[in-house]
Amino acid sequence: MRRPDPVALVAGLGIAALGALLLLDNEGTLHLRFGALAPITFAVVGAILLASGLSRR
Amino acid sequence: MEGSPAPLHSLRRDPEHRVLGGVCAGIAARLGVDPLIIRVAFVAAAVGGFGIPAYLIAWALIPAEGGRAPVAIFRTGRAAVEVALGVALLVLAALFAMRELGMWLSDAVVWPLVLIAAGGALLWRQSMGGPPEAVAEVARPVAAVPAPPRPAPEPAEPDRAGRSRTGIGIALVVAAGFAFLQATGALGAARDVLLAVIAVVVVLGVILAPWIVRLVRSLTEERAERIRSQERAEVAAHLHDSVLQTLAMVQRRADDPQEVAQLARRQERELRAWLSDRPVPGRAESLAAALEAAAAEVEERHGVPVEVVAVGDSPLDDAAEALVGASREAMTNAAKFGGGSSVDVYAESSNGRVQVFVRDRGPGFDPAALPPDRRGVRESIVGRMRRHGGRATITSAPGAGTEVELVLEGRER
Repeated sequence: MRRPDPVALVAGLGIAALGALLLLDNEGTLHLRFGALAPITFAVVGAILLASGLSRR
Repeated sequence: MEGSPAPLHSLRRDPEHRVLGGVCAGIAARLGVDPLIIRVAFVAAAVGGFGIPAYLIAWALIPAEGGRAPVAIFRTGRAAVEVALGVALLVLAALFAMRELGMWLSDAVVWPLVLIAAGGALLWRQSMGGPPEAVAEVARPVAAVPAPPRPAPEPAEPDRAGRSRTGIGIALVVAAGFAFLQATGALGAARDVLLAVIAVVVVLGVILAPWIVRLVRSLTEERAERIRSQERAEVAAHLHDSVLQTLAMVQRRADDPQEVAQLARRQERELRAWLSDRPVPGRAESLAAALEAAAAEVEERHGVPVEVVAVGDSPLDDAAEALVGASREAMTNAAKFGGGSSVDVYAESSNGRVQVFVRDRGPGFDPAALPPDRRGVRESIVGRMRRHGGRATITSAPGAGTEVELVLEGRER
């Protein structure tokens, strides 16, 4: 079985989570402000970069 | 060595004295302070909100004593940039989140601290990027050989990237200072103090410039002389082990022209390869193989059996080659002066440490009574190991045989 690509996995999960949050915000379930959205975005991008850097040989 | 400063060890976690992960004990050992001070600082930082993530990051990045870091984060090239950006963004995310949740001291304190941490990390990383430390002092038990004076370790020539890292680190720390002074309204007063300090420094600089220039020149010359002296010692050790040994063999076997010619040819090949800085044909590529080859060479030259037992192996870099050279000299001495007894060599490579023992059951000798012109032990064994960051211990006494222990530590695994 092919091993999953860690960068793609982290990026996929991160972007999916971000999309879910934005969807909930749009539906009115959540009320995201810039102060809350900025750290989440930073965390997703940071996690993708970290995974990419660590997976390089 | 009395009076000499304690060597600066690489930063390692210390699991033996740990309370949690050994981070504080390791940092305290590196800085030479009581671990309690570092623990109190971490607890205070934890109250401030960033101590726990800082501890976790330190635990992940700092290797344990005799082990590796849980996360091998130090990369080079593009990977290093990505890792650095990733970590920076994650830290920023955590800080923004804490600020949003109200777990925040104040902007005037936290942002300068973040800048100081980033600058300090860069400077620390740069300070750890040098060559492996000279970890050893030549141990001198009761019957050990007086060691030659130890040259100070040479600082690594900083490369361009290293200089940039240092420059950015210093700039970040200075910026943090300015940001703090600005935020607390103390920048005006600090500017007056700074101007006064600059004026004093300029005046003192003009007065002391000739002495400072002379001191710098003298330090540069001293460094160059130290390098020359090390190179001379290396050349002398090599010539002693190769050409002088061969000449001694030629004298002993003068009645056999064919063997003398063979010895001369072999020595010529070896010397030509050494002079042109290319590997000797048929040279071994690992430590164990090189030790075996050295043992076979000594056995062939001196007609004394040399038994080698090697546990583990290690790549043959410069330090390992020096270890092989010192081992060969110890084997040669054992074969020449061991009264015909067999020579036992035991080599073990594990956990970044290489240890070689060369033993004979010959008549032994009193190392303290060794004539000063005997370069074999003093330079080819003890001095050579010391120059490559290792140590050599010679234990011998009349009638009790001889044991030479050679150790290299802190090697790549």
